[in-house]
Amino acid sequence: MAVITLPYKYLERLTRTDRKTILDKVALIGSDLERIEEDHADVEFFPDRPDLFSPEGVARAMRGYLGIETGLSSYPVKPSGIKFTVDPALATIRPVLGAAVIRGVSFDDESIQSIMSLQESLHWAVGRGRSKVAIGIHDMDTVRPPFHYIASRPSRGFIPLDFTEKMTMTEILEKHPKGRDYAKIVKDFPLYPLIVDDDDHVLSFPPIINGERTRVTIDTKNILLDTTGTDKRAVSVAVNIICTAMAEAGAKIESVEIGGVQTPTLAPAERTVSVQECSRLLGIELTAASMAELLRKMRFGAEPAGADTVKVQVPCYRADIMHDWDLFEDVAIAYGYDRLESQPPTTFTVGKPHPVQVNAALAREAFSGLGYLEVMPFTLTNEDVLYKKMQRDEKKGVLRVMHPISIENTVVRTELLPLLLEFLTLNRHRELPQRLFTVGDVVDSCLTYQQAAGVSTHPDADFSEAYASADAMLHELSIEYTVKESADAAFIEGRRGDIISGGKKIGVFGEIHPAVLNAFELEHSVAAFEFDLRAVPGYPVL
Amino acid sequence: MAELTQNEKRLLAILEKENKADAPHLAGLLEATPEAVVQWAHLAQDNGFALVERVVAKEFVYTDEGKAYAQDGLPETQLLRFILPGTTLADLQKHEAFKIGFGQLRKKGLVKVEGTSVAKTAGATTDADESALKNPSDADPKTKELIKRGILQESETVRYTIAITPAGLTLVKQGLDLRGESGTLTRDQIISGEWKNLNLRKYDVSKLPKKAYPGKIHPYQRIIGEMREILLEMGFTELYGGIVQQSFWNFDALFQPQDHPAREMQDTFYLRETLPLPPGYEKVKAMHESGGETSSTGWGGIWKEEKAEQCVLRTHTTSVSIQYLANNPNPPVKAFCVGRVYRRETIDTTHLAEFEQLEGIVMDENVSFGNLLGILREFYNRMGFESVRFKPSFYPYTEPSLDAEVYVDGIGWIEMGGAGVFREEVTAPIGINYPVLAWGLGVSRIAMLRLGLKDLRLLHKSDVAFLRETPSLRHTKGGI
Repeated sequence: MAVITLPYKYLERLTRTDRKTILDKVALIGSDLERIEEDHADVEFFPDRPDLFSPEGVARAMRGYLGIETGLSSYPVKPSGIKFTVDPALATIRPVLGAAVIRGVSFDDESIQSIMSLQESLHWAVGRGRSKVAIGIHDMDTVRPPFHYIASRPSRGFIPLDFTEKMTMTEILEKHPKGRDYAKIVKDFPLYPLIVDDDDHVLSFPPIINGERTRVTIDTKNILLDTTGTDKRAVSVAVNIICTAMAEAGAKIESVEIGGVQTPTLAPAERTVSVQECSRLLGIELTAASMAELLRKMRFGAEPAGADTVKVQVPCYRADIMHDWDLFEDVAIAYGYDRLESQPPTTFTVGKPHPVQVNAALAREAFSGLGYLEVMPFTLTNEDVLYKKMQRDEKKGVLRVMHPISIENTVVRTELLPLLLEFLTLNRHRELPQRLFTVGDVVDSCLTYQQAAGVSTHPDADFSEAYASADAMLHELSIEYTVKESADAAFIEGRRGDIISGGKKIGVFGEIHPAVLNAFELEHSVAAFEFDLRAVPGYPVL
Repeated sequence: MAELTQNEKRLLAILEKENKADAPHLAGLLEATPEAVVQWAHLAQDNGFALVERVVAKEFVYTDEGKAYAQDGLPETQLLRFILPGTTLADLQKHEAFKIGFGQLRKKGLVKVEGTSVAKTAGATTDADESALKNPSDADPKTKELIKRGILQESETVRYTIAITPAGLTLVKQGLDLRGESGTLTRDQIISGEWKNLNLRKYDVSKLPKKAYPGKIHPYQRIIGEMREILLEMGFTELYGGIVQQSFWNFDALFQPQDHPAREMQDTFYLRETLPLPPGYEKVKAMHESGGETSSTGWGGIWKEEKAEQCVLRTHTTSVSIQYLANNPNPPVKAFCVGRVYRRETIDTTHLAEFEQLEGIVMDENVSFGNLLGILREFYNRMGFESVRFKPSFYPYTEPSLDAEVYVDGIGWIEMGGAGVFREEVTAPIGINYPVLAWGLGVSRIAMLRLGLKDLRLLHKSDVAFLRETPSLRHTKGGI
C-alpha cells in the first residue's frame, strides 16, 4: 500500500482550505488516515489510484470533493521542439519510451522529497517494481537535446547517482545498491537500455539508475522526464500522473517528439455512460444532471447528453477507469456511502447447508458425546511430523508448497492424527486424561476431502479404548465396516486394526507405538483412530 | 450450618449426660483419644452446640536437686541449723551443703565470720525461703529466685473441658440419628430395601470434589457455526470447495492481472501441480487482453495460459464462489462459503499463513450496491454489532468496492471486511448477466476479539486448559 506524506501548509495552499476540513473528509474519497503529526499527516491510498500518490493529486481531488473546484482540470501542453530517438534494438529489451519537459519548477528539499516519493510509489503501483515502468527525472539544463534512447554494450561506463567514480553498467548491476535490487530485469539481455544526450552524456540507465550528471537539486529549474517500460499504457499513465502533479504545483508542461509523435498530450479520454445503468447498480435515483454533477465533484468533465446519457471526460491521470462501472463507483463516492439506502434484497430464497459441513457437524457432536475436546490444527505442516515421527511412508498425494515460509510449513496435511499427537506434546503439562479430536480438510494431490481423528491419552489408554471409540464414531455416522489386522507402523503390532468399508481401507485405529510416543516426547500411552468421512453413506462427491 | 458428623453426634449425646467434662474423661467414654474428642468438640463448637474451654494450668515442680531440698531443707537452712555458738569456719566447711549454702547465707546476710568462728546474725532465719519451696507461688519473689537457682521449674499443662450449649441440649433432645454411616449405596441395598435403614454419608455441598471436563466443540468452531447459522437463516446456500485451486479460478476468472503483485511467489503458495483450463477459458483471456465485448479496455498485454494452469493454495474462497456462479448462471443465487485460505505471510501474533474466510455472494436481477450494504448491515447486526458503517475501498475484482466497519465499545471502529459488486469483466466471461454482490470477512478477527486472545496462533495451537475453561455459551455484548 502507498502511504503518502501530506505536509499541511503545502496541502492547505493547494487545496485552498484548512487542514481540518481536508482530514475530516479524506477517508471518504477512499483512504486510511495512518498518522496525524505536528506538521503533516500520513495517509494510505489504494493501489488503483496512483494519481493520489502526491500532495498535488490529493489536493486536486479534495478541491473537487469539497466543492471548491469541480470538473475537469485541463493541462495545456505546448511542444518543446525537443526530439527523442529510440533505438530499434530495444524492441525486445525495453521498447516503450515516454518523456516530457517540465519547465519553471521551484524546488526546495521538501518538494524534491515529495516528487521522489511519488516516483517510488509509481514504481511500485504502476511499474510492478520497475519491470513494467521505470521513471527518471533529470535537470535538463545539464544536458543537450536531442536525446537518444539506445541499446548499449554493458561495458559502457558512467558515474551513477550518489557515486563519484565511473562504473560500467555490469559493475553497477553488481555493486550499486539499486543495481543489485533491479539487476534481474535487464541482466539476461546482451545489450542494456541507456539514455544519452546529443553529446553522449549518460542521463540514465533504465530501469536501474540515473547518471550523477543530471541530478535534480534545489537550483533545478527545468526537468526532463523519461519513462521507459514494457507496457505502453502503464508508461503513459506514469508520465501523465507526474506531469499533472507538477502542473498542479505551478510548472509548465511541454511535449517531446518521439517517433514523429508529440507526447504527452495530457488530453482526457471520453466515455458515454448510461444514467439508468448507474442508477440500478447503485440503487439510487439519478438524473443525467445530478449524475453529471456528482462526476464533476470527482474531477471528471461531465455533461448530460440526453435524458439517460452522460458524456464524461476522463482525466489522463485516472488510470483506473477501465469500464463504465469504475465511473459509477465515483458517482457513489461523490454521493456518499453513508447516504446510500441500505436494504437487503427482497427475493425469497431458502438457506441450505452443505452436506460436507452437515456431516462434519454430526461427527463433532458424536465426538463431544464421547468426551473428546475439539482442536483445530493448522493444515500446513511438514514431512517430519506427518511421516517420519509416525514411522510411516510418505503418501503419494503429498502436496509440497514451492516456497515455504519455514521448514515447519512445507506440505499440506494428508492426515490428521500426527497433528493431534503434536497437540498432546503441546499439552503435556495439562491434566490427564486428555481426549482430543479434529474434523477437517486433508488433501490427496489436488483433491480436498475431510477426515476425522481422535486421540486419548492417560495411563490406561489402550487398544480396547481406541477400538470402542472408533466403533462408536463409525456407528453414529452409519458407516458399516469390518476390521482387519493392520500393518501401520504408527501403532503397536497386534494392537492395530484397519477399518474396511465398501471393500477398501477407510481408516485405522489402535495403540500408538512407543517409538512414536518417544518421537513426540509423550510419556503416556495413546489410543488413537482416524477415518475418511467420504465413507459416510450418501456423502457428496466433490 | 454444616451437617453434623457422626462423631459430633456421639459427643453431644454423651455431653447431654455429662454436661461438662474434660477431654480425657470423655475420651474414655467415647473410646477415642482425647485429641480426637477435642477435634470433634471444635467442630461442634463451630456449629454452636458445644463450648471448648482451654485451661492452661501453671505448676511448679521440683528439680532433682529441689526434691532433695524439699526433704532436707535448703542448703542454707541446713547450714543455719548446723551453726551453734563456737562453730568454726573449718567445721562448717566440712558440711556437705557448705558450697552452696554458705554463699547464700552470706548473700542474705544471715551469718558473719569473726576470725575463725562463724556466727548467725540476730534473728537469722530462712523460713520465708523454705515456705516458698514448700508452697511455690507466682506472686512470691522467693519462688522466682528458686526457679533461677534451678531448684524449682515452671511447667504449663493444657486441659480441655468441653461443655454442651443450650442449643446443643435442644438438638440432642430433638433426637440424634446415631446409626453408622455408609459411603455407597449398593445394588443389594437398593433391591433388598436395606436402604431404608442406611445412613448415607452426607457431603459438604459447598465443596466441588473433582472437576469434570466435557468433550465439546472448539470455541472458534462455535463462532464459525454462529455465522453459518445466520447466513442460513438469511436464505443463503452453503458452498464447500477444495483448498487447492487453479490460478485460473483463484485469479484470472476474477480479472486479477497476471502481473498483479498478489500473484507473486512471495504472497501466494504455489504448487508444482497444474490442471487443464476449463472450456470457455478463451473468454477470460479476451477479457484480460482487450475487455472482451464489454465497455472495458481490459488490461492489455498477452494473457498466458500456462500461468493460469498453475495450482495454488486458494488465497480466498472467492475461487469457490466464482465456480459456483459459473455452474449456476440463473438468478437468484445466494451462496456463502467458510473455509481456510492461505497467504504467504510471516507468522506472528496477528498474522497467520492460513486463516478462515467467510464469503458470500448474491446474484439477482435488479440487485444493487445499496442492497449489498443492506445485507452487510443485517449480517453484522445479527452478529451483535449494532453500529455498522461503510467507506470506499479497492478490490481488484469488485467495482464499486467498500470496507465495512463495526463499532465496538472500548475499542472504536474496527474494519471487518471488504465487499463490492463483481466487475463485469468477472461476470461476463462466465455468462452471468446480472450484478453479483460479494463480500468477505476474516472470521478469526471476530474470534480474537470475542475470545480475548492476544495471539491468533492460539486458535490453532490451543492450550487444552483454555479450551476446557472457555464455556460453550458465551454471553456477548455489542458483538464481542
